[in-house]
Amino acid sequence: MSTHNTPPSQQSATGVLLASLLLPGLASLAALAPATSAAETAPEKSTIAVKYGSYSDSQPGWDRIKATAPQVYVQAPIAGEWSIEASGVADNVSGATPYAHTQKSGASSGGKLGMSDERKAGDVKITRYMARSAISASVAYSTENDYKSTALGLDARWSSDDNNRTWTLGFGAASDTIDNTASGINTAINEHKNTQEFMGGITQVLTPADIVQFNLTRGVGSGYFNDPYKSYDLRPNQRDTWIALARWNHYLEPFDASLRTSYRYYSDTFGVQSHTVGLDWVQPVGKLTLTPGMRYYSQQAANFYFDPVLNAQGQYDAFGTLMRVVGLKGYKSADQRLAAFGAVTLSMKLAYAITPDTVVDFKVETYRQSADLYLSGKGSPGLDPFNAQFIQIGLTRRF
Amino acid sequence: MMKRTILGLLALTSLAWLSGCSSAGPVNAWEKGNLAKPGMTFESDPLDQRFTQHIYGSKENSSGGYGVGGGGCGCN
Repeated sequence: MSTHNTPPSQQSATGVLLASLLLPGLASLAALAPATSAAETAPEKSTIAVKYGSYSDSQPGWDRIKATAPQVYVQAPIAGEWSIEASGVADNVSGATPYAHTQKSGASSGGKLGMSDERKAGDVKITRYMARSAISASVAYSTENDYKSTALGLDARWSSDDNNRTWTLGFGAASDTIDNTASGINTAINEHKNTQEFMGGITQVLTPADIVQFNLTRGVGSGYFNDPYKSYDLRPNQRDTWIALARWNHYLEPFDASLRTSYRYYSDTFGVQSHTVGLDWVQPVGKLTLTPGMRYYSQQAANFYFDPVLNAQGQYDAFGTLMRVVGLKGYKSADQRLAAFGAVTLSMKLAYAITPDTVVDFKVETYRQSADLYLSGKGSPGLDPFNAQFIQIGLTRRF
Repeated sequence: MMKRTILGLLALTSLAWLSGCSSAGPVNAWEKGNLAKPGMTFESDPLDQRFTQHIYGSKENSSGGYGVGGGGCGCN
């Protein structure tokens, strides 16, 4: 629908603000706010959302991890100038992960075979809204059998006079404790990790059909980065990151559809650089909204990741790999997640508005990770491809 | 084949970026109706985003860039 000839007085200024003032993190929360709310205006209605997530992954001949994740989110306005948001999740994870590379055998070597764990996490955020700006403060806590994390976040945003541009500044800090003595493994005893993140961003309305966003994030982390369930794992105690995120949303009037695109560049002092591209097509059809999507990810290996030794048939040579480890000095890791690989996700989301204030949604995604999908040639050798499926069912209600 | 498709999509996205930027100019308030539609939000569903980003963060080296203030986990 074109609004080019509509007098300004009849425009939904708040809706415009909502589109032009979106921020990472805060933007996601704004999406559940009433359609008439703006980033600098406290929500007029309260929102409650629940979602049930299910996850499973596998590699050839081995079903690895299964997880369920019920989540809840609430948002409420306070005195017209404030809002409070809170969310909680209880992950239940069971299954097994490799002890090195993609090897199933070797539970006695520290592989997390037969593990079962529950993670509970929650966060609270308070936002103060002013004429052309807003400030938010948040705290988050997560606990599981062998890992506890406490985090805080502060961010501020303000907009230009014409609402075509919004600037963002954010700071986050997390303090984590890793300790697996309760499970009897004892490979991480009272270890700690601290990270700080600094973010700056700008969101710009380009045309009546285009809005873009650019964020730059600097992360500084120190402490324990090993995976205590992997064999041969010794990582640096410092990891600093640079992340650049560019997003562009384009409205296609002939289809009444939106194309959402994103690109993320990531670089860290482990030597990993990665590229992530996301594409989503949002197609309303009456009360139904269909959102097919695709994500592509490619990363190069960390500079201390080592390849496995393969035999003449190209199969994993455990003894040869062990001998290779013995000869390695300094940092080392056989963690598949630090190898060079690519990954593709295909997704489809269906959302149905039962009423204007009640929406149910269903999303299914399929994920494949393999060396063959590495962007520039062949990725790390000797790793089995990895597949995963994610399913989500949700309900959002405003009142 | 898959990588070629991906590279093609990357190229198309880049072109679309450039074409969008080339027509950039001041946009008046009464021209922003379509920008306010739900499909034009950068993140449409916070619980969905948290769930999927949590998965990617536990299966890939890279994570973050979408906001600040989240905590870590010992994810497998």
